[in-house]
Parts: sequence; C-alpha cells; structure tokens
Amino acid sequence: MLAAQIIINALVLGCLYACIAIGFSLVWGVLNVINLIHGSIIVLGAYLAWGAYQSMAISPWYVLPVAVPVFFVFGYLLQRLLLNRVLHAPVLVTLTLTFGLDLILNNAMIYFFKADYRKLTLKPPMGSVSLFHVVVPVDRLIATVLALALTGLLYLLLRHSRIGRAIVAVRLDRDAAILMGVDVRSIYAIAFGIGAALAGCAGVLMALIFPISALTSSSYLDKAFVVCVLGGLGSVSGALAGGLLLALVEGIGSAAIGPAYATTLSFALLIVFLLFRPQGLLGRKGFE
Amino acid sequence: MSDLPCWIAVTIAGSEMGVWMSGSKLIHWSAVLGTAVMAIASWSASGSTVRAEDVIRFGAPLPLTGPLAPEGIKQQQGYDLWAEQANKAGGISVGGKKYKVEIVYADYQSSTPRAVQTTEQMITQDNINFLFGAFGSGAAKAASTVSEKYKVPTIAAAASSSQVYDQGYKYLFGTFTPNDTLTTPLTQIIKAKAPDVKKVAILARNDLFPLAIAQEMEKSAKANGLEVVYFEKYAIGTLDHSAALSQIKSLDPQWIFITGYINDLLLARKQMVDQELKAPVVTMIAGPAYQDFIESAGESAENVTSASWWHPAERYDGKDIFGSTENFVKLFHDKYKSDPDYGQASAAVCGALFQMAIERAGSLDRDKVRDELAKLDVVTFWGPVKFGPNGQINSLEPPVFQIQGSKPVVLFPLAIKQGELKLGVN
Repeated sequence: MLAAQIIINALVLGCLYACIAIGFSLVWGVLNVINLIHGSIIVLGAYLAWGAYQSMAISPWYVLPVAVPVFFVFGYLLQRLLLNRVLHAPVLVTLTLTFGLDLILNNAMIYFFKADYRKLTLKPPMGSVSLFHVVVPVDRLIATVLALALTGLLYLLLRHSRIGRAIVAVRLDRDAAILMGVDVRSIYAIAFGIGAALAGCAGVLMALIFPISALTSSSYLDKAFVVCVLGGLGSVSGALAGGLLLALVEGIGSAAIGPAYATTLSFALLIVFLLFRPQGLLGRKGFE
Repeated sequence: MSDLPCWIAVTIAGSEMGVWMSGSKLIHWSAVLGTAVMAIASWSASGSTVRAEDVIRFGAPLPLTGPLAPEGIKQQQGYDLWAEQANKAGGISVGGKKYKVEIVYADYQSSTPRAVQTTEQMITQDNINFLFGAFGSGAAKAASTVSEKYKVPTIAAAASSSQVYDQGYKYLFGTFTPNDTLTTPLTQIIKAKAPDVKKVAILARNDLFPLAIAQEMEKSAKANGLEVVYFEKYAIGTLDHSAALSQIKSLDPQWIFITGYINDLLLARKQMVDQELKAPVVTMIAGPAYQDFIESAGESAENVTSASWWHPAERYDGKDIFGSTENFVKLFHDKYKSDPDYGQASAAVCGALFQMAIERAGSLDRDKVRDELAKLDVVTFWGPVKFGPNGQINSLEPPVFQIQGSKPVVLFPLAIKQGELKLGVN
C-alpha cells in the first residue's frame, strides 16, 4: 500500500511539475529564450490568488480566468517592448536580460509582500479522498486536473488555431514563416504572452499547495528547467512526460534511498539525459 | 540556478568590453577607472576615519535576501532596536565619553561563502570595531574563522550547534545554549505527560542547525527509552515531502519530530494534513516560534510543540539597557507593532551585551572588550548570561512551548509555565 501511495503522490506531483514547466518549455522551444523570469511570474500568480482570497475570499479557481489575460498582456508587452530588441543577440544577452528582469520583479515582490512565507489555506479545507487506504488531497487533485486541462488547451491551440500553427511554423523555420507572411515579432510576443499566462495560472494553482514567497521562484525555475530537459523541448506532451518522470524519480528515490538524495538523483538523471539523450524523452524539432 | 547568470553577466561585460575597445583604449580607460576607484576609496576611508572618532561601528552580515531572508530581517530588527535605544540614551559610555552606535549591514544573500567574504570585507574595508555573527550555525561557523583571524570579538545571535564553538576560538561568543538544552526537557515532558508515546519519527532539513537538533533529539529519545523508527534528512529547497511522510505514516509513530525553517515546516505541516498523518505529539523546530508560522499554518498549527531559547512570557529583571523582559517586549511592540520572537530578542541582547562589555572595559580595544565579554555574569531581559570556556552561553534554561488557541503557551520551565501539554495533532 505504501508503494501505491508513493506512486500516486508522484503522479499528482508530476502533473503539477508539468504545469510549472509548460510555459517555460513553450518560450524556450519557440523563441529559443531561456526565460529566467518564469519562476517569478509563477510566484506573482500565487500572490494574485493569495491576495484575492485574503481580501475578497475569492477561491483560486475563479482567479484563473482573470490570471490568463492579465499575465498574457504582461508577457506580451515584455516581449514586444524589451525582449524583441535582443532576440537575435547571442544567447547570453537574452539570458542576462531575463535575469535582470527577474531580479527587478523578484525584488519588487519582496518589497511589496515582504519576504515572509504566506500560505493560502481554504476555509473550510478541502480535505482528502481515500481509496483503498491511498490518500489524495482534494486541492492537489483539482490542481492536477486543471493543470492537465491547461496543458490540453495549449495542445489544441497549437494544433488547431491559426495563431498556433503560426507559432509552430516560426519554431520550425523562422525564415520560411516570414516568407509566408507571418508577422514574426508579433508571434514571438504572443508565444511569450502565452508562456507568461501559463506561468501565472501555474502560480494560482501552486498557491494552494506550496508556501508563497518571492524566495521560492528559483525552486520553480529549477524544476521547470529539469522537466524541460527530461521531457524534451518542442512538445506539450514532453513537458508532461518530463514532469511525471521527475516526480517519479524523486518520489521513489526518496523512499528507496532517503529524501536527502532525491534531488541529487533527479539532477544525476538530468546529466545522463544531457549526455545520452539531449533531446529528452519526447523532444522533436517542432512544437507539435 | 539563480546564481548562474551573475557570472555570466560579468563574463559578457568583460568580453564585450574587450571587443569594443582596442588595446590602447582599454589601457587608457582602465587607468582612468583605476584612478577614479582609488580616489573614491581614499575619500571613503578618510570619511570613515572622521566618523570612527565618535562612533562605534558594529558589523552585521545578514541574509537579507534569499531563502533565509525572513530570519535575517528579524535579526536586523533586533539590532536596530538596540542601536536606537543605545543612541537615545546618548550612546555607549567609554571612559567618560559617549559614542554613538552605528550598525553596518551587508547582505550575504543566504550564501555561506558570501557570508565569509562579507565578514572579511567588513573588517578590512568597512572599519568595523566589533562584529555580530552571521545567521545560523553553518554561516556563523564559517564566518568565525575570519573574525578569529583578525581578532575581532564576535557575538553570534543565532548559532547553537556545539560544532560552532568547539573550534577553540577566543573571540567568538554565542547567546544560544547547546541544542540538547532544547530536546532534553521536551523529551522529559512528553515522557511524563504522554506515557503511551513509544515510537518517534524524525525528519530533518539537511542543514547544520536543523540536522544537529534532530541528532540531539535522536539521542534524547533513545536515552529516555523511546524507539526511533524513522530518521531521515531532506534536501534544502525540497518542494515535496509526500514520499517521506507516507513512509512515516506507514510506521505509525506517536511522536513526529520535524526540523527546518518556516517554509519547510509550513509545507511539511500542510502535507501531513493532506496525507491524513496524525499523531499524539508533533514537534517542529524552529518555525512555531515565529508568529508568521502560526498565522500561515492556521488551525493546523494547533497543539504543535516546539522549543526555543527565549519567549516573551519570560520575566527577567535585567541590568542591560532594556531592563526587564516586559520593557523589551513593549519597546519592540511600539516599534514594530508585533511581539518579538527569540531571533529578534537574541539580536537585541547581543548588542546590549557588547554595550555592557565595552562600558566595563572603558575602551574600544578589542582584546579588552573580549576579556570583559568572557567575564560577563549578568542578568539581562534575555535571561542570565554567562559564557562557557568555549564562548557559548551556558546559563539559560530555554522554554518549551505548544501552540494552543493560535498562541504559544509555555510548558517549561516551571517558573514561567502557562499551561499543560495537550495531546493530539490532527
């Protein structure tokens, strides 16, 4: 029964990891930008959910529809006004710019919200469901379902909408996309906007699960990075596969050799992937 | 991860300067820049010499950003309150002359190597007279090698592990008693009040203080005839404890003991509720001593036990600048609109102890002040203060408490006991 509990915990956590990583994967895959501000956007989403609940008792579920346009516009403007200017510069320049933006956003959050850890505790708490002695917390379960829904929506958007096909086209061959009349600068901004919206939504969901502080942004960024490398850039399902693999390795590793070594194990796996399968589990050239 | 781009940025800046500037231009600009830096350095050095005449400068390397920032900021509040009170009273009296207190802060970003660099920089460049130790046992121990090298008296406000003081250093003092002074009374209370508790599970953050106190707990449990059925460490920055908690649940312990800092313990407590992991006794060190933990954990904090080195309910009539514990709590409350916890109180008492030692020495000579610190045997708002031969305080009786009705209720020592142990953490 313990094994079943550990596997279920890992599967739920894996979906949350995928939710954390999907926006990061999209931006990296399409724009070739390692977006170091991603973790801070997640935390900003968490603060949005926390603020809405503390001040107006609005549940995070209802915050999600607000978070999508707010963070989309935030990301769109960020790309349009700043990142587009350095997109063709060497990768270290975009890395440095997003790092600088991350410092600004992170310190602004510390300034406004202080460094204290906050917790969004629903009243009454949602409790847990138990099946054959395997317990799953309801809030994690709902967050998992919503994370899967967001991932599915992104898949559909990329697969079946004009904008989605344009994003994929830019990812596959930027020059050919320009020749076909695609406004690349606009597509870049839309892709970054979608990435920011996904990060903001992830933050809203994570607010229910993890303590909230600007100081946790690097933990989210680390997880997103590992998930992307494991799952592979260029596919929505890659983020999901990477998240599940990471959570399973951490969960089983934690039970087998102790929680102190779970992170070491996951980073060892990352190195193995970088050496022997750099494209990740499901990585492809195009983004679906 | 977030540290990585720092050096990348420096590398880019360096390489791009090289690309932009031809050899002779580069030399020219380097010379101009070098001259400017030297001019600024000499100006600032002369400025600090003037200030040093009527000011005593205390260096306080703190983690003001990064994961330990909440604790670092609390410590800063304690130092600031002491400096404010000391200056309000005219300053520190040295041989009949009053010196104002100035605290020089530096943020070491929760990184122990940076704490060491910052400490050295304070001594060699910022002209500080005395030092407060870095936060936590790990950073305090690492930074103490530097202060010892330069023979700067240092009081660590937040370092309890014996490994910090067992280095044979002369200039290092600390206001936290050894870790076993927390775990031993706790175990004895549980043993006396909850005889059905037989099995203990211990989960510790893999960090110097949280791990050391967990190891003391293990020793203490075994010494009192309890069976330690689980002892594991978790990595710093762990985002999920569910696997460890599931294992603990399968072992059905009556006492769950988890160590870490606020974020770790909030997460662990939330996941315990999620996993329906219940026990008659749950102890967490060091989060529950902070009001933030109680507020954020809400009902799940109820009946969680803990121990710390100080509590606002204590009643000491001190000879220090704050006088009584009540007065310290009042002054703190007036300034920050909240009750102090042990971290803030410890920082404040470190300043007050320096003040007493300097006034007794009648000099700013570091060796004389060090000798006065070593000789101190005085009651303060923090409690009786006397340092052992290794520099660690050995005169305190740290309180054990339990969260009851969203408030910490003292269970020990008897002199300030406020309530009885309640069993059952759901």
